[in-house]
Amino acid sequence: MIQLKKVIKLRTVVSTSAGMALATSCYLAGLQVANMVSGDLAWVSILIAGILALLSSLNFSELTSLYPTAAGIKLFIQNAFSEKIAIIIGMFYVVLGISMVGAESYLLSSVLSSTMPLFHPYWDRLFWMVFFILFVGVINFRGVKITGFVQDILTYSMLTFLILISIYAFWRHGFHFNLPFRGSSAQAGNIFQAAGVGIFLYVGYEWVAPLAEETTDYRMISKGMMIAIGLLSVTYALFIVAMHQGLTEAQLRSGTLIPHILFAQNLLGTKGVVLFVIVSILASVTSFNAGLLNTSRFTYAMARDNVLPRTFSKLHLSYATPWVAILGLVLFSISISLVIFFTGQYLYIIMLAAALECFIYVVTAVCVIRLRKKFPDQPRAFKIPFGMTFPVLTIIIFTGLLIGIFSDVTRDYNGTVLFHNYWVAFGMALFFMFTTFYTLRIVPILKQKAAARAAVRKRRRPGRNGR
Amino acid sequence: MATKKEILEALADYQINCNNNKRLRKMQRNWTRKLNFVAEDTGDVFSMEVVNGEITSFKPAPIEDPDIIVTSTSENLCDMFWGDLNPSQKYLQGEIRVKASQEDILRLDAISMIIWPED
Repeated sequence: MIQLKKVIKLRTVVSTSAGMALATSCYLAGLQVANMVSGDLAWVSILIAGILALLSSLNFSELTSLYPTAAGIKLFIQNAFSEKIAIIIGMFYVVLGISMVGAESYLLSSVLSSTMPLFHPYWDRLFWMVFFILFVGVINFRGVKITGFVQDILTYSMLTFLILISIYAFWRHGFHFNLPFRGSSAQAGNIFQAAGVGIFLYVGYEWVAPLAEETTDYRMISKGMMIAIGLLSVTYALFIVAMHQGLTEAQLRSGTLIPHILFAQNLLGTKGVVLFVIVSILASVTSFNAGLLNTSRFTYAMARDNVLPRTFSKLHLSYATPWVAILGLVLFSISISLVIFFTGQYLYIIMLAAALECFIYVVTAVCVIRLRKKFPDQPRAFKIPFGMTFPVLTIIIFTGLLIGIFSDVTRDYNGTVLFHNYWVAFGMALFFMFTTFYTLRIVPILKQKAAARAAVRKRRRPGRNGR
Repeated sequence: MATKKEILEALADYQINCNNNKRLRKMQRNWTRKLNFVAEDTGDVFSMEVVNGEITSFKPAPIEDPDIIVTSTSENLCDMFWGDLNPSQKYLQGEIRVKASQEDILRLDAISMIIWPED
């Protein structure tokens, strides 16, 4: 069998998967996890979240092996349920990606405005936020691609750097890991609720699935996702605990947006700050770029399929990029960033992303079960062992986590209530209603128009099927 | 089921349409790729070479070290080369499978969209 000239290696699958999850917002989400379990036990919640992410990766692995395409998410939901449900959930997914970009740009702008003052902290933050989104938008518009080799260097350097810094911090502070369930606040409930928020740290690992079309063996995607989750778990567990330990009580109480920068300042001084600013920029650019790349291609494909207005399928004549889709998503990202900027509710987006991800994991597990029943004999390069046990476990656990997130209250380090998480459920429900309305009312109109255009078009193919 | 001859006729038409389209040639001016098309129902394999956006050759045999491998039924391949189907739709339905980078998949779809725009 003839193979592609250029194929992606396992190390690039791992680096892409881990690189997409590793972002500036993870430091803050990690600190939130640490706050929920009184700091030094954060590693337990992070590892539990990692194990849960591994569980969900099994479902993605089986589905990717069944539909090894960039359109996988639409295809497997469509085949398991219907096209309408696939569109609704597909749009959920796009919003997840773009919401992350909004939160990410807001947090990166906080890093840059605090370390590189230009005019005034308020305007600096606004400037960096918009600049950052536009910068990545231009990269996407011009079709500049981060190659596999560059992605390898970036991701593995960042992971190594974070692990080494954590070890150094432990050595400096003489830190010892606590055993779980010993302290008063280390109750099982707290640890598991924190694990629910910890899911955010892994958001995006599955966006490596479209690379299946560039591999020789689809099982490489499953292997890559699992290794990436393992690497992320170890890195986050070490770094979040080290960072929490390395911040002063006053810094923790301040509700800082830049905990990793303050940690670097405490540990290494100005040199440490410079290093962490660079790591922040790299992490944000790679994950934001990948997010925009995936969502813009998905938007383009949906427009070509007459699910979104046709204008989103316009391609730039010089760069062959879907410029209208990119522009639309850039404007959407800026809007979300501005909402976060004016309200300061970045944690709302983090909670929303964690909840949406839990929801997607439940959907994928249900898809595995339905597709096994509908197409039992379809070949699968990877099949989850032990029958339906793991998909059923995924459904139970992630539904539980979802309920846990919704029923919780988001607080800052001082215990002040920031918002009730039922507002996250409300936000999700609102968007669900919008996408359902769009799918049931607008999409049929777009499809009818496309069918009318197709009806008047003459078939070009000569012979029995044509003229 | 489309015959080998039918697909070759379709490919010949596809070559003319692609090479004569100025907008497409501008967009694909730096695009040089080797493509294989596999008709899974008949087992026929066709190949095509694109150099700087120009289809320089095609033949009813596979090419070594391709950059893109497109797999579908012979009917779908034939209709695609005649511009009678929307490749993106078939791709999203899983009827056309492509092994290639995301950029190449988009460029492949762009060819159909530009030479046969849906007015």
